[in-house]
Amino acid sequence: MKEELMSILTDLRPDVDFENEKKLIDDGVLDSFDIVSLVSELNSEFDIEINVMDLEPDNFNTVEAMLELIVKMQEE
Amino acid sequence: MDFISVTFIGFVIILSCIYFIVPDKVKWCVLLAGSYIFYMASSVKALCFLIITTIVTFVCGRILGSINERQKKYLDEHKGELSRDQKKEIKFRTLKKKKWVVAAAVLINLGLLIFLKYFNFIGGNINTLFGHMGIGERVPQLNLLLPLGISFYTLQSIAYIVDLYRGKCQADRNIFKFSLFMSFFPQIVQGPIARYDHLAHQLYEPHKFNYDRVTQGAQLILWGFMKKLILADRIAVPVNLVFDDPGSYQGFVLFFAAAGYGLQVYADFSGGMDVARGVAQILGIELAVNFERPYFACSISEFWRRWHITLGGWMRDYIFYPLSLSKAFANLGKRTRKIFGNYVGKKLPTFLSMFIVFLLVGVWHGSSWKYVAYGVWNGVIIVSSILLDPYYEKFLKKCKVNTECFSWKFFQMVRTFVLSSFGRFFSRGISCMIAVDMIKRTIMHPNPWVFFDGSFLELGLEYKDYYIIFLFILVLLVVGIMQEKGVRIREKIAEQNLYFRWILYIGAVVVMLVYGSYGPGYSVGEFIYQQF
Repeated sequence: MKEELMSILTDLRPDVDFENEKKLIDDGVLDSFDIVSLVSELNSEFDIEINVMDLEPDNFNTVEAMLELIVKMQEE
Repeated sequence: MDFISVTFIGFVIILSCIYFIVPDKVKWCVLLAGSYIFYMASSVKALCFLIITTIVTFVCGRILGSINERQKKYLDEHKGELSRDQKKEIKFRTLKKKKWVVAAAVLINLGLLIFLKYFNFIGGNINTLFGHMGIGERVPQLNLLLPLGISFYTLQSIAYIVDLYRGKCQADRNIFKFSLFMSFFPQIVQGPIARYDHLAHQLYEPHKFNYDRVTQGAQLILWGFMKKLILADRIAVPVNLVFDDPGSYQGFVLFFAAAGYGLQVYADFSGGMDVARGVAQILGIELAVNFERPYFACSISEFWRRWHITLGGWMRDYIFYPLSLSKAFANLGKRTRKIFGNYVGKKLPTFLSMFIVFLLVGVWHGSSWKYVAYGVWNGVIIVSSILLDPYYEKFLKKCKVNTECFSWKFFQMVRTFVLSSFGRFFSRGISCMIAVDMIKRTIMHPNPWVFFDGSFLELGLEYKDYYIIFLFILVLLVVGIMQEKGVRIREKIAEQNLYFRWILYIGAVVVMLVYGSYGPGYSVGEFIYQQF
């Protein structure tokens, strides 16, 4: 799952070091355009429904947080 | 009661003294009483609208809160018994119920705003349309009162309701405390637009007197006063002269007026924010940051991320995300992929949402077509810059442009400044058509000699005023660069010895008193965003 996520992220923003960046939202590394594209990609890739209520900075600040969100959405 | 007045300074001093003297339990009551006194001193008649919005938001909030609690309780009690589908069904039904409450709150609060702010504009346009059809004027023009801060507190109330709908915060149980959240005096006039989870608990908790915090707050107030009095009110003189009679000017003089208006709004609005944040800080409350050096932005979209941040954040969270992630927009994207290809189809929902956001930002500023045009101007630049980005990148690679050096960043900043300044023709121009004409005459009749032939001295300011403007912009630039580099200026000042600190404070007060826009021909203008 992590490889797929990393592939989506690096496709979206090749200039960002996703492994080491821990404040992707808080530091403004990903902007709102990136978030919308990312959510659409995640929804179709992992067959989940991340909606506007899940758009919390804590859910997208790190790759680990995104993975957690994906797992949570798949379980729901 | 104006921020820039002796009355306001006296009010803040008295209120702060009372706040720090009274027992902790009633500190928030002092803030509530102070906020209502402040509001009534500015506008007694408009108070009823603030009270209506407060009551409607509080009641709807309580209903949403109890729906949330009931759902949580039910799910907790039947934790092991419910299947995934059953849980989903319960959540779906709860959301449906909550939607009705949100709709009611938004309809009443937004309805009030739309009626008071836009009724005459909409009615006027309908009458014009009827006129063309030969029906005659049918919609009366009403003498409506625009309550102080309505554009700000309405957005704040909607954010609270939607956050409750999303389960992001707990409903407030005390209507008086909630009234304080809705009316907190430093931020009701022109923001920042607060979020409940960030501000409310700060208002309700008692804060003790803290010397460092009070001096830092006072510094921020002083800095805001300086921005407003030294730069904004001074540069307003030529700006008003040109925009009130645009037919008499052309070329760089027009551009100077537009760019000058941009600087005026920046100094005025960010100055007002500094005063608001400074006053709140004295009381131990941190308001949200509304400006992060917008003129250092390298693109218009970055400019908007740094300018009026709380409005941008509000639009992002309550308009942009819900629209661009909605099923309707996703379907639209899928359909258009077949027609325009993958790239455009994928981006279309985002573009459309962004365009709607900028239209709303434009209209939020006022009821006139010029504000619609202002929104369209910004929307078109941002959407086209994203659409053209791949071609732009190719072009830069082909021309071997080094995009990592300072000169490139500087070019981007100048480009953003020029584009945002052209946008100011719409927001400050008398009408949309006049703004278009001004842009045309700026481009068609450039005359670089106006910089040397004394043309600018015929715009109501003398040489010494331009020197003051230039020097203050230089100060803003140095302060901005330091802040960009992460230097916390007020903390640095606090580290200096007592003599230096007081020389600096007294010096700043003297500079403000001497170089502020006073005397014959000048008057302290009200804050621009106060009118919105």
